[in-house]
Amino acid sequence: MNSNNLLQYIKGYVHIVVEGYYIERFINICNTKNILLWNLKKENSILLRACVEVTKFKELKEICKKTKCKIKIEGKKGVPFVIRKYKKRKFFIALFLFMVLVIISLSNFIWNIDIEGNTNIPKDEIIFIASKQGLSTGKLKGKIDTKQVINQIRLERDDIAWVGIEIKGTNAIIKIVEADKKPEIINEDEYCNIISDRDAVITKVSAKNGTPLVKEGDVVTKGDIIIAGWMEGKYTETRYVHAQGEIQAKVWYSSTQKIGLKETVKQETGNEESKYSVKFNNFQINLHKSVPKFEKYDTIETNKKLKLFSNFYLPIELIEYTYKEYQETIVIRSQEEAKKIGEERATTELLDKIQGKEILDKQVKVKSENDFIEVEVIYEVEENIGIENKIEI
Amino acid sequence: MKRKSRKLDEILEIPVELSTNTPKVTVVGFERLLIENYRGILEYQEYFVRVNTYIGIININGFNLQLEEMTSDDLLVTGKIDSIDFETITDDEDT
Repeated sequence: MNSNNLLQYIKGYVHIVVEGYYIERFINICNTKNILLWNLKKENSILLRACVEVTKFKELKEICKKTKCKIKIEGKKGVPFVIRKYKKRKFFIALFLFMVLVIISLSNFIWNIDIEGNTNIPKDEIIFIASKQGLSTGKLKGKIDTKQVINQIRLERDDIAWVGIEIKGTNAIIKIVEADKKPEIINEDEYCNIISDRDAVITKVSAKNGTPLVKEGDVVTKGDIIIAGWMEGKYTETRYVHAQGEIQAKVWYSSTQKIGLKETVKQETGNEESKYSVKFNNFQINLHKSVPKFEKYDTIETNKKLKLFSNFYLPIELIEYTYKEYQETIVIRSQEEAKKIGEERATTELLDKIQGKEILDKQVKVKSENDFIEVEVIYEVEENIGIENKIEI
Repeated sequence: MKRKSRKLDEILEIPVELSTNTPKVTVVGFERLLIENYRGILEYQEYFVRVNTYIGIININGFNLQLEEMTSDDLLVTGKIDSIDFETITDDEDT
């Protein structure tokens, strides 16, 4: 209706009722004195309803005296009246302001650290390095020197190719790119021996450069020199070279498994019970009293950080404990069964080491005891051995 | 003097309601009526508004008439307007 309705609302206005016989005169005087009236409505010949600004109301009273009208306030509207109303509720306002302040101040802290991009490096190690440089939960955002943290991480870890820290809301995200550990490269023009890196029996030695010190069938232990990085000629003196060559050897991998003939096996019954507790920083409140009613159970703990919106983490954690009941059953195995299980377990353990290599032989040794058997599985594998080792002269 | 300035206004194409005290009456739909350049209100009832201007009187008949906005220059009358009529004052009477 009124073009500056909102402005009037902010200033505050009153609904008035004017009663009298000279209402037209009253309106005209208001007009000449520049008092803005709006929403004028004549109820009957002597009654007028209108709206007027709060500050102009005193002037209206004087005009009313002149024109012999009665004036009454019917209602008050606007911001000044709202403020006056809430002035009585000081505690409410104080708490409201306090809440706003708390949220603003809390948003200045880091409440959560995430690490992205790591597959081999444990999170804890990076968090530990970061916390030494001042990036840990509960620290002021402004005090964190991300550049220094990045530098420190890169200095301490040589298996990280790139580090970036992004602070999003109350979240610090450490992004890392892992690097493969670089092998020690010995230059071609440097002198080196080839030494054995494991215990083995040599099956084949072919030296491209250097002097082979072992023959076929020789047993070498870890650290023995296989191809020496020097050459001795009849006419020349001892000459150092960069040893090169291929060595094939038999290597044994073994694994021993102890299998009980009588064994207790865990089996979940499917019964579950969940309990919750709340954690503020380091202060934990348990929301439950009793311990679970199961006799035997596994406990699974899951933490959940509370957050406002999408990235404003609060320093409150919700911890859920899930108790899973299990039953213990006793299984009695025969010797044959036990042997089979032991062999299977040992093979899966060794599978990683022998994969892709030529298997020459497989041995299974069984040792029977009173109530258990020991199964030893030995794989004989032929593979290339030998690593370069620099000669210090 | 008056004639000269009128000619100048004509050349500059200044609207009449700005150069003189002529009222401008705008009717929007059948329920809103805006009067610019008015002098004052002579009579105001729910069914009848009588507005004084520099060249005459404007009478508005209707129901539920409301003076929605009132400044020293403009007057916005809303409500169900039935008829508008004008009473012209001759120059002799005015002065």
